[in-house]
Amino acid sequence: MRLRWVRGRAAEGDGPDDPDRTREWVGCDDAGEAIARVVRVSGPVRAGWRLRYAVARDAEARVVELRPPVDRNRRWLIVIGGRVVGRAALPLQAVRGAEAALGGG
Amino acid sequence: MARTPLDRIRNIGITAHIDAGKTTTTERILYYTGRSHRIGEVHDGTTTTDYMEQERERGITITSAAVTAEWKGHRINIIDTPGHIDFNIEVNRSLRVLDGAVFIIEGVAGVQPQSETNWRLADRYNVPRIIFINKLDRTGADFYRAAETLKEKLGITWVALQLPIGIEDSFKGVVDLVGMKALIWEGDELGAKFHEAPIPDDLKDRAAEYRQLLLDTALSVDDAAMEEYFDKGDVSVETLKRCIKKGTISGAFRPVLCGTAFKNKGVQPLLDAVIDYLPSPVDIPGIKVAAAEGEEEEAERRVIKADEKAPFAGLAFKIINDKYGNLTFVRVYAGVARTGDMVLNTTKGHRERIGRMFQMHADKREEIKEVYAGDIVAFVGLKDTGTGDTLADPADPVVLERMAFPVPVIDISVEPKTKDAIEKMTIGLQKLAGEDPSLRLRTDPETGQTILSGMGELHLEIVIDRLKREYGVEANVGAPQVAYRETITRPHTEVYTHKKQTGGSGQYAEVKIVFEPLERNQGIVFENQVVGGAVPKEYIPAVEKGIRAQADTGVLAGFPTVDFKATLVDGKYHDVDSSALAFEIAAKACFREGMKKAGPVILEPIMDVEVTTPADHVGDVVGDLNRRRGVIQSQDMAGTSVIVRAHVPLKEMFGYISNLRGMTKGRASFSMQFHHYDPVPRQIADEIMAKSA
Repeated sequence: MRLRWVRGRAAEGDGPDDPDRTREWVGCDDAGEAIARVVRVSGPVRAGWRLRYAVARDAEARVVELRPPVDRNRRWLIVIGGRVVGRAALPLQAVRGAEAALGGG
Repeated sequence: MARTPLDRIRNIGITAHIDAGKTTTTERILYYTGRSHRIGEVHDGTTTTDYMEQERERGITITSAAVTAEWKGHRINIIDTPGHIDFNIEVNRSLRVLDGAVFIIEGVAGVQPQSETNWRLADRYNVPRIIFINKLDRTGADFYRAAETLKEKLGITWVALQLPIGIEDSFKGVVDLVGMKALIWEGDELGAKFHEAPIPDDLKDRAAEYRQLLLDTALSVDDAAMEEYFDKGDVSVETLKRCIKKGTISGAFRPVLCGTAFKNKGVQPLLDAVIDYLPSPVDIPGIKVAAAEGEEEEAERRVIKADEKAPFAGLAFKIINDKYGNLTFVRVYAGVARTGDMVLNTTKGHRERIGRMFQMHADKREEIKEVYAGDIVAFVGLKDTGTGDTLADPADPVVLERMAFPVPVIDISVEPKTKDAIEKMTIGLQKLAGEDPSLRLRTDPETGQTILSGMGELHLEIVIDRLKREYGVEANVGAPQVAYRETITRPHTEVYTHKKQTGGSGQYAEVKIVFEPLERNQGIVFENQVVGGAVPKEYIPAVEKGIRAQADTGVLAGFPTVDFKATLVDGKYHDVDSSALAFEIAAKACFREGMKKAGPVILEPIMDVEVTTPADHVGDVVGDLNRRRGVIQSQDMAGTSVIVRAHVPLKEMFGYISNLRGMTKGRASFSMQFHHYDPVPRQIADEIMAKSA
């Protein structure tokens, strides 16, 4: 299923070594409805009083801890319907993964 | 010199393992950019950058020659650097002042030890780099296997911009994955032309696969490019190039190109990649000023950006003494300087007048009257400026970050063949040591001999050869000795009273010093914690002087003692009989007594050795390394060869090459570089001590 991908949420990191901590692309259908998202959140992230090293954001942008921790080489999460259905090394690979998971190319 | 806009300047280094083809590649670049009208060959001894006699004779690069070339309206300042580990200092100081680097990887062996070392150095200075997999015409060459060693050994994300068409004898060109076309060379000869062609059918699937990987990797650094891709299903060549440049500069990934410089294939696209993907001086963040005394290394510091309108700031990164006098190579980071200008050496705190300025083309030079931010030039007439010194506008006296230099591991004693040449030899060696910060000169306090310390046998051999050729001094040289060090293993507090009060003016000083071991490479740290004036302030420097002087002669076998901290915590003085000399003597004696009780050990340099041997000799090679107290780190297959990696004490490696040749009928090769210092085993320590006694 081909989606129309638009920029999602983004959070800047702490400095030049960590320029874009959170990046997200949202896949919409023809009606503009968000169907899937691919997201990268690099840890550590401070959530309340806790420092979490392997995290993602759920549909309401709350930080959730992932178990097992994210594989550093597959940091992009493919999220469909609020569930992580796969991981990829790069955003375009994650996008293709999301479209494949939704069926068809 | 025609003025080149800053964004059209590239200051690059070319670096790699020995014999990977750096100098050959540089020669091709000079030919194709029109700077050289014929091609020099390393094996003929006619290259442009290897201009020293020894370089031409030995077919290796010793000093970094600065060469300027023009390509498609851009000025490329190239520093060709040595591959042999003994001349690592040259790579170090080049990388420090360059904005980008081309790493040449051999197409047969892949990443080799010196490539790894240079890569880590480039990491230290955040140098953006592109990779050129060379020698694809050689038997056993394999682009994909060589590229995989980038991930295995360097742990990097690499992305192919080209794929080879054919391999070994049949290598004839590359697939350009940015433009999705083939580039086919029309011959192997000098100046061979190439033409564009459709991608060969048998490579179409592979090209599509690698092109997708290129898009996946490159576009991930630029959201606007991602949007263009989502809209159109592809991106323009300009967008793709912009992303590759962005990722190259940030280090998100490393682009890989390929070819064979020797057979004249792949050099022109490499030059295109240099101007397309490596940064100009304005594309990089700039250079930080040095941390002030007592300031944390990590603290935020001022950054000097490439700007011609800013006050002048430059870094001296290389000194050469030749027949014309002292040449000081300077990277200009900001501002403008003109012949006759007065600048401040902010590292040493004195003024220097710039006599003349030259743009260097290996051993040839072109006089210029002005230099601008971004330039790499040579100044003549500076009296006392050394490698790593900052030259700045007196109105804005910044000090730029200094360079770090490696520790010499081999010593030789040197004496002139005739007595009347002593002065000439001393002057010559001092000048050579002034050019080369990895060369140290000292006098053995016990024997009075001149001791030269360097990075390896070849390094010192070249120095002695230069002494003869350039200064006319023939020298007798002792056998190379391992540069042992001493250190301590546990803390100890020692009190020593120096007392000579037997009539007349006497001597009195008492010191209480805590000696503690430090981590490796921390040197000697002295701290004063005396309170209440138990030792008057004016005597504290004498205590430090005494400790540092005595540390040159360790308590076990007379080797320099390193990596310890001495804290002066208490002491006593006498109103009449105390003096700086008395405290210096007390500190020296306290050191001698204290060190003996602080668990002294002798340290020896341990080398990272890599032997490439045919598989049928691997047993002999490993057995021999074990006999040399080596610890095998890994054994990996590379085609029909095995690469054995081991940590071996330097002492056991003298003359190794002839043994290895004998064992393997000349089919194996090896390289080694300093890895760390380790305590020597007890039995060996006893032998060393007995010898020194």
